[in-house]
Amino acid sequence: MAVVLLPSMLAAEAGGASRFEPDAETVGEALRALPVANLVFDERGALRPLVNVYVDGIDVREREGLDTRLEGSETIRLVAAIAGG
Amino acid sequence: MSVLALVGTRKGLFLLESDEERQDWSLEGPVLTGWSVFHAVVDPRDGTIHAASNNEVYGATTHRSADRGQTWTRAEELGLPEDTGLTLEKTWHIEPGRDGEDGRLWLGGAPGVLFRTDDGGEAWQPVDGIVRHETRDRWFPGAGGMCCHSIALDPEEPKRMYVGISAAGVFRTEDGGETWTPANRGTAADFLPDPFPELGQCVHKLLVHPARPERLWQQNHCGVYRSDDRGEHWERLEGNGLPSGFGFPLALDHRHPDAAFVIPEEGAENRVTCDGRLGVYRTDDGGASWSLLAGGLPQPAWGAVMREGFSSDRLDPAGIYLGTQSGSLFVSPDAGETWIEAASQLPPILSVEAAEWR
Repeated sequence: MAVVLLPSMLAAEAGGASRFEPDAETVGEALRALPVANLVFDERGALRPLVNVYVDGIDVREREGLDTRLEGSETIRLVAAIAGG
Repeated sequence: MSVLALVGTRKGLFLLESDEERQDWSLEGPVLTGWSVFHAVVDPRDGTIHAASNNEVYGATTHRSADRGQTWTRAEELGLPEDTGLTLEKTWHIEPGRDGEDGRLWLGGAPGVLFRTDDGGEAWQPVDGIVRHETRDRWFPGAGGMCCHSIALDPEEPKRMYVGISAAGVFRTEDGGETWTPANRGTAADFLPDPFPELGQCVHKLLVHPARPERLWQQNHCGVYRSDDRGEHWERLEGNGLPSGFGFPLALDHRHPDAAFVIPEEGAENRVTCDGRLGVYRTDDGGASWSLLAGGLPQPAWGAVMREGFSSDRLDPAGIYLGTQSGSLFVSPDAGETWIEAASQLPPILSVEAAEWR
């Protein structure tokens, strides 16, 4: 099963857990299964623009985006973009 | 009984506690780290703390804590209907409902939106009467976005309430939020071709007096105002001791309907406290005259106090609380006569609320 790793702020919102193994066929399904899905996506279901998603180190924008298929051994890492102050 | 001050900052929420003397304060926090807390409030009905929390990356939401800030639960349902073409930008202000309205709270946000919850903040429902208001195409954002920052409930008439939206103006409902009428007659909008339009005014803060509910006070982009007829007409209250009509914060003395407090700024083009001092101005005669209260406040000081960074408690004498963008919380335990710096070097303060804590 693919592994999703959360940054600290999302982990705090997920009750302290930073690692999830959702049963999912795509990156989008995996992220929507998270208990912090409403922080990762806006109310239209769009990935928030400053949330970056890497699958085995590659930005999903360089692959098939949220439709990127999972075989089960991937590591999905959510990273907040460098922004804010 | 103790007094709890909730201090929302750009970097989380701080809790300060004191006894009824309000002289010595202990500091806890921050909690909700990473979140900009635009407003936090204790629901006096059950002691739950509610926070309007925002993050540049993860968006706008609300949190609530039933254990005095030790653990927090995030809203599960909060968003705008797709057919409105609107998406939630910020959460600004949470107003608990009245006694007997268990579970009901109101939430104001940007872009000029209002929500209601009937389950204590788990699911927020958009209030169509504001979200789909027929005049929305004439609303526009101020410098802080098109924020619904003020929600004022009539304490005696359960169907009547008010909101303040920048820059749409003040709106009143008489039917519990179904329909909303502009209530801006007499308030200026000097930045528009018609200086006294039906709507479009940039209200900065709106409060209803709890002991005289027909009396409203308003700090506006274009002056300080009082209404004695539920917002039907407004009277401008400056040129009588106030150094400027421009400002954001407003606070009331809950026992004295003729008293109000403002913190004027130089003007829209120079948003710092007037005359190089951090000064609170109080009226005791309904706005006919204002006097400076600065005992214990710093001078020189070119400060800024955000619209939610100013509040009062319900003790006698009233405690007044102000938080600055430079991270100081000042408390006056005697209705503004003297001030104590209760905390300093906090992150920029966005909001202050005080509550009795039992």
